Amino acid sequence: MEFDRFLHLDGVAKTFDLTEALRPTTLDIAEGSFVSVVGPSGCGKSTLFNVIAGLEQPTTGRVELSGVDVTGQAGHAGYMLQKDLLAPWRTVLGNITMGAHLTRGVTSEDEHRAAALAERYGLGKFLAHYPAALSGGMRQRVALMRTLMTSHQLLLLDEPFGALDAQTRFSMQEWLLQVWAEERRTVLFVTHDIDEAIFLSDRIVVLSDRPGTVVADLSVELPRPRRLATLTEPTFMETKRTILNLLHHEGESA
Amino acid sequence: MNQNFRRNLFGSFLSFVLVIVVWQLIVSLGHVAPYVAPQPLDAWRSLTTHWSTLWPLVLGTIGETVVGFVVGATLGLGLGVVLAKRRFIQRVVYPILILTQAIPIIALAPPLVLVFGFNLAPKVIIVAWIVFFPVTVNVLDGLSHVDRDLLTLARSYGASPWRTFSAIELPASATNIFSGLKIGATYAVTGAIIGELAASSGSSLAIYQHAQSAQLNAAGVYATTILMTLIGIGWFGLIVLVEFFTTPWNRRQIARRAGQHI
Ligand SMILES: Nc1ncnc2c1ncn2[C@@H]1O[C@H](COP(=O)(O)OP(=O)(O)OP(=O)(O)O)[C@@H](O)[C@H]1O
Ligand SMILES: [Mg+2]
Repeated sequence: MEFDRFLHLDGVAKTFDLTEALRPTTLDIAEGSFVSVVGPSGCGKSTLFNVIAGLEQPTTGRVELSGVDVTGQAGHAGYMLQKDLLAPWRTVLGNITMGAHLTRGVTSEDEHRAAALAERYGLGKFLAHYPAALSGGMRQRVALMRTLMTSHQLLLLDEPFGALDAQTRFSMQEWLLQVWAEERRTVLFVTHDIDEAIFLSDRIVVLSDRPGTVVADLSVELPRPRRLATLTEPTFMETKRTILNLLHHEGESA
Repeated sequence: MNQNFRRNLFGSFLSFVLVIVVWQLIVSLGHVAPYVAPQPLDAWRSLTTHWSTLWPLVLGTIGETVVGFVVGATLGLGLGVVLAKRRFIQRVVYPILILTQAIPIIALAPPLVLVFGFNLAPKVIIVAWIVFFPVTVNVLDGLSHVDRDLLTLARSYGASPWRTFSAIELPASATNIFSGLKIGATYAVTGAIIGELAASSGSSLAIYQHAQSAQLNAAGVYATTILMTLIGIGWFGLIVLVEFFTTPWNRRQIARRAGQHI
């Protein structure tokens, strides 16, 4: 089943000098799926993403993408880090096209795509603004657009909506689902918001307290496209209760 | 340009007027003898009457300042980058850098004249000698304090070292780099004048001033000092303008700071 093993983590573990951040973790992610990772703060979610993105060499284990060993190699995934990391010296347009700027040079086609993206998602008037003039939510949207501009199939999003108010957050979630449905990308998504995880995902991976490892792997049986009403469906509530229970027990054992 | 900039320009003009007024007051109320300090107007008159003699000398000083600055700034930029990138070289070379600046700059001139003779070279070398140090230190400082997470971001894209340098490290250090250049610009004229004093055989602004002083011509002495100062301010202002246009994201800050300097 090559297809279901688009991303394959084989016993990936990471220990920093003194801290064991991640226990050996094995995980398969199917191509085109939307998978959320939830877990207590400091349990190693960002570490896991850094390893997948090739920014950290795992202490043990392998990362495979489409059957190719990419352990410790960067540049094969679009990665939105926990901070927005906009370059203060580039405009909104310049930041959205940052990936091209860093790898091959920005073409006018890149700029058109970026402008269209910004236009479509409420930042059309801010293309020439510098990040200093943006609100936290706008910055995060720019960072997300920058990530979406990459052509990589795999997207790693580490709490992309952390800084947004509830309303903007919901419209961003809907937007992300729409983009995901249109472009058929594979999304790995870290969040502390369980509602968000359920609303977005096909699958939710629950990590234990630090050092993290998978304690539960749930599939979300909610029909798509998902709407506001999805949030009040019985299945939604049930999934939420299950996850809360798991996390609560994790908290107690710490 | 923005309002802040205009307001600062106006502020600079006011402070200029203030200096002249205070000068005039001191000289006239204090009954200062004309061979000690001239009235502003006398200095101005000395400037205009001797302009045909002065202006080739001014051009000479500007030439030394600019060439020396460009050489020094280029060296400083290159050295700053190398030191930031190679920790080992930094450890070896940094003490030598401090050493170069500990040498009294006046004492540098005689050996340079021995090697190069009385021509442009010793002056340019003295200016470059003074300019490269603040540039190197500030470039090194800037490159060493680039947001590590931005570098991580670049790495996640698989960006090459060169792309990372030009797209992240260089612009992130722009403020520091320009600080170094501005400090260098203010010192550059001083270097040129020291060079002229110590390594000029023929005519130069410094020698001219020396001659005026020997003749107790205070107006001529002051006029020359004013010219030297103007060259310094002009060169500094040019660097600020370059900064203003090459780092548009910092404009507000640059305009605010420029007002404090000029
Ligand atoms: N570069 C590093 N050096 C040393 N320890 C680190 C490093 N990066 C992370 N850690 C440690 O590893 C553990 C896991 O960190 P990580 O950032 O992966 O947690 P997280 O699950 O993303 O937390 P949060 O939900 O708060 O973002 C923490 O205890 C952290 O202190
Ligand atoms: Mg994290």
